[in-house]
Amino acid sequence: MDHGKFTRVTTYFHSLLALDVFLLFFTGYSVMFNDELWWMVEFMGGNAGVLALHRIAGFGLIVLTVFWVTLMLIGPGRRKNFKAILMTLTDAKAFVQDVKFVLGRADERHPNARQFAGYSSDEVPLLSYVGKGVIYIFTVELVLLMVSGLLIWSKVGLAQFFQTKAAATAFVTFHGLLGVVMVMGIMFHIYEHGFHPAFYPVEMKAFVPKSMMPHEEHEEHEGTGIELLSLRPTWKWAVNLAGAAVVIGIVSVLVGSIFDSGYPVPAGLTPGGGPTSILLTIGINIGMFVLLLGVVLSTYGNVLRARYEQQVAGDEHDSEPEAAADGGQPRADE
Amino acid sequence: MARRDDARGMSEALAIAVSAVVGIVVAVASVWYFSGPFDASFETLYRVNPTVEGGGVGADYVAGNTDPLLDALIVVIHAVDIVAGLFILVLVFVHWGAFRRLGARMRDPDEPAEVATDGGRDADSGGESA
Repeated sequence: MDHGKFTRVTTYFHSLLALDVFLLFFTGYSVMFNDELWWMVEFMGGNAGVLALHRIAGFGLIVLTVFWVTLMLIGPGRRKNFKAILMTLTDAKAFVQDVKFVLGRADERHPNARQFAGYSSDEVPLLSYVGKGVIYIFTVELVLLMVSGLLIWSKVGLAQFFQTKAAATAFVTFHGLLGVVMVMGIMFHIYEHGFHPAFYPVEMKAFVPKSMMPHEEHEEHEGTGIELLSLRPTWKWAVNLAGAAVVIGIVSVLVGSIFDSGYPVPAGLTPGGGPTSILLTIGINIGMFVLLLGVVLSTYGNVLRARYEQQVAGDEHDSEPEAAADGGQPRADE
Repeated sequence: MARRDDARGMSEALAIAVSAVVGIVVAVASVWYFSGPFDASFETLYRVNPTVEGGGVGADYVAGNTDPLLDALIVVIHAVDIVAGLFILVLVFVHWGAFRRLGARMRDPDEPAEVATDGGRDADSGGESA
């Protein structure tokens, strides 16, 4: 197992935030991409049901985000995190080296890019360059989404500010288009942390707190030691299938956001705005499937965490009386 | 190395509790502010205003959005989506490729894993070529 990074509260926060954001995506984009995701709206209780769910999840998002920012400010030992997320020139180098690595011109990924740190874990910073990017995008996007979301919470209130229905619609559109960056980013995030060969199908360091991670002392070893690990049999096709689904999902959501932005006013009175095509419908639905995969993997991570915690508790329970009885060492394994 | 934020007991718990309260209070207050106080002002909205040229009820739908700032905002966010989307696609492909290369370095599922326990390097079958 790789070194842990998340504290206990972070693991819970991450899972709750994920559930909340996925719910916001499913409710928000089934409205915005209504041409393609009409079934989702029906599934979640029609227009009124979907928008009610979206508002509830939006409320949850504000609670979670403000909670997190406050905790980072007042929590013990948290302030240093602000320094750890600063982008440096090294991160740019890590990206360049990643490209070189894929092209076969570099032998290893840069420490700032490594997800699997293995034996060299001490050399790896708290966040990879992608991790830092995720924090930045989340910060900017969440603030803008929450502000614009609150502005359109009550259409009456918004219309009072801007006086025209078109302006109110423009804000709704702005809100939807803003989220497109997030939805594309999350699809990538699911891929990045679900399909790394050393971690597939889920990266446990997001679910098991670092206080519970086993820290084994190991002798000097060159490199990460990844060549000592075995691949899972399903990884070879899963990595390509998921990669293709993520690419199709991102491209479709992007294209859909241009044609189907839900901004009907200037483009003429075509509700839903723009052409509908079968390909786009399939593509956007694949994108939603990728998000669903994220929900499943996140849940699976938490199931594994529960099992692991149970196992650790069981081991402690088993070994204590034995160690006490003969005064010797506890059993190493079964 | 083994410094743990988790281990500070009470102050961690207190910080979590305080943060949770702040989160809930801010969320309730902001939703109340944005949905509450506007209810009483229906009559100021969409007034028939025949003296204004092109004005009146529903005129905004015919004319389209005439606020250039909001139009510009939509154009900007479209552009941001496209730029971010393309960059994210690059990242997906870079990781896809990197994962395949890393995967090629790992042992195949059918290879016996026991070799690793003696610390031997004989399984260093490369994988660079894939």
